Amino acid sequence: MTASRELFPAQEIGSLMKPRWQIQGQHAEPLDPRARTEFSDENGRTHFGDELPSAAEALLAGRAREVGADAVRDLGALFALRLFERAGLARVYDGEARRIEMYEYPIRQMRGFTFHGHVRSFDHKYYLKASVTDEVRLEHPYHLEEFDFVRRHARGEPKLPITGPYTLADWSYNEHYLARQPGWKGRSARRAAQREFVVDLARRAIRPTLAALIEHGCRVIQIDEPAAGTHPDEADLVVEGFNAATEGLQAEFSMHICYSEYRDLLPTLLEAKRCRQWAWEFANRDRDGRDGYEVLKALAEYGDTREIGLGVADVHRDEVESPALIADRIRRAAKYLGDPARIWVNPDCGLRTRSLDVARRKLEAIVAGAALARAEFANPRA
Amino acid sequence: MIVRTGLTGPFPRPEPLVAATRDLDRGRASPEAVEEVFARTEADVAALERRLGLDWVTGGYLRWADPFRPFAETWEGFTVGPLTRWFQTNTFFRQPILHAPPARVPGAIAGWLPPAARQDPAHGGALLPGPYTFAGLLDNRSGETPEALVHRLGRLFADEVRELAATGLATFEFSEPLLVDRPPEGALAEAVVAAYRSIHDASDGATTFVWTYGASAVAAFPLLDRLPVTAVGVDLAETDWEEIPATSERRGLGLGILDPRTTLVEDPAEVTRIVRALNERRRPTQFLLGPGGPLDLLPWEPATQKVHLLAAARQALQDGNGGRR
Repeated sequence: MTASRELFPAQEIGSLMKPRWQIQGQHAEPLDPRARTEFSDENGRTHFGDELPSAAEALLAGRAREVGADAVRDLGALFALRLFERAGLARVYDGEARRIEMYEYPIRQMRGFTFHGHVRSFDHKYYLKASVTDEVRLEHPYHLEEFDFVRRHARGEPKLPITGPYTLADWSYNEHYLARQPGWKGRSARRAAQREFVVDLARRAIRPTLAALIEHGCRVIQIDEPAAGTHPDEADLVVEGFNAATEGLQAEFSMHICYSEYRDLLPTLLEAKRCRQWAWEFANRDRDGRDGYEVLKALAEYGDTREIGLGVADVHRDEVESPALIADRIRRAAKYLGDPARIWVNPDCGLRTRSLDVARRKLEAIVAGAALARAEFANPRA
Repeated sequence: MIVRTGLTGPFPRPEPLVAATRDLDRGRASPEAVEEVFARTEADVAALERRLGLDWVTGGYLRWADPFRPFAETWEGFTVGPLTRWFQTNTFFRQPILHAPPARVPGAIAGWLPPAARQDPAHGGALLPGPYTFAGLLDNRSGETPEALVHRLGRLFADEVRELAATGLATFEFSEPLLVDRPPEGALAEAVVAAYRSIHDASDGATTFVWTYGASAVAAFPLLDRLPVTAVGVDLAETDWEEIPATSERRGLGLGILDPRTTLVEDPAEVTRIVRALNERRRPTQFLLGPGGPLDLLPWEPATQKVHLLAAARQALQDGNGGRR
């Protein structure tokens, strides 16, 4: 497993908030003073702008239009990479600097879908949701250009996040596959239709994309399935989608799930083949006297020995966890798993909901907490 | 066969209202400008309901952020808590936190009803949360037991129904997804029956119905059949209609024939086949046909397409039934 690595290496999980200068630059707007300060502060720390001097210079001179939005996104990707690396993460990506969200973009790379409009999530927040109205077909593999950029520039090991087939299916309306079911579209018809949809997404869209990414040199891939916990009785579909998407492919795959009752997904989820790591959220539930890591006992009970991407920082709170708290969380996880060598540490989920300053300090705390825990395990009597 | 139709939950917001409310959040639109869009859209929904001949008009409940917010913000004893997932959906509500035994504020909820429901109350529909679902989903820090809280909420909703019925409002729906997601047992089940008895006693002859969705209602039927309401509704996308039990007591049956989890429009022939079969088996006093769950799980356009099926299904059933409604 991770015998050759030091204990508790750190990794990111997904998105970072886009810096203000990136958003303004992409819209070819001149940078306001806040954006300018944000840029120069981070550039002072990591000198990311010095690596793409013409783009940085044009951006700061209010000439972003001349270099184009893609060059600004390159800067954004480099900014995130260097931020992660400076924080001390072993596995890094670009903070999803080129992505707007994790559903619409992949769906728009496929055929067979129709967008109808927005659905309310809560209050005045909405999301777009498409119907699958024909068989799923991939237009072309996606995330390749962003991965190529990361591969060329990363000093850490790149780890690419990609939305999984179950989540794409769950966040879509199933029209085409349901229509093929005979009779009244009750529960059993819906389930059969959803299985067909998930497997088609996995085989026809996700797998070819993963294969192309691997061809481009991608070795570590995180398949995001945040919808996995929405319908615990469909855990078998999550597994079927994962297995179909990764069939015959050689890479280090992990599965990211968050805000779910993991016990409800077990032991079915353990049927996921080729999944080397579970990257799950825990810190969010580790409060008010509740041990958020106790659920790891279930993995031990089922004899699962895969790596854990251990969420040790809550991405929905600004309060930055102390390194001591993070070390304590690692210690508890190690006890429940019975093997510290299986633990990677990370935020619960993507940090896009936190300010860049909070995100940076949380990542630094994670790395510091991991170092504390590492020292304890290296010298248990200390 | 008596067949009545209507909306049983909130209607989606159309794109102009989505844009307006987003602009409001971003400081790009004034509250007055957004209010105009709300009012216009409520009128559009009410016009659609009337055009389709639906038996109660709701106006879409477009301003209700979630089923509990008007209560959590106006009744005493509550604060508004964290975002919480709404059953097995990708939508969320803010969990009410109950700090003390709740108390209603007279007139507060009437102000939240869409204008269409208030202006023509005889044809207006009040869509309210059911006491069991409300009690079960809030964060109860009041010290009351779950049973006592369901009893109390039943009495408060009874007072609400009494107040609204006095204005002429003729139809009250209580949304109770928790009744089928987590059916109550023992004393809690008795508290649910008692709560609806309070509501029934206050209803002054108005139509009251309990609408369940999101899970099969089959296991809950022994309780549902005891509720003293005009009809109980079940979600036909989740409930196997062939397992809906016969009953010796004649009562109304609600059928959620529109599935808001898919944009695929249901087949009217299938709907009429099922309704007729259930009519033979269960002999309900009336059928209430509506969406199986909140239509705001869909965007505006597919929801609008689907809601036409209510009128089509009723027409098809009437055509085979001597035109009797």
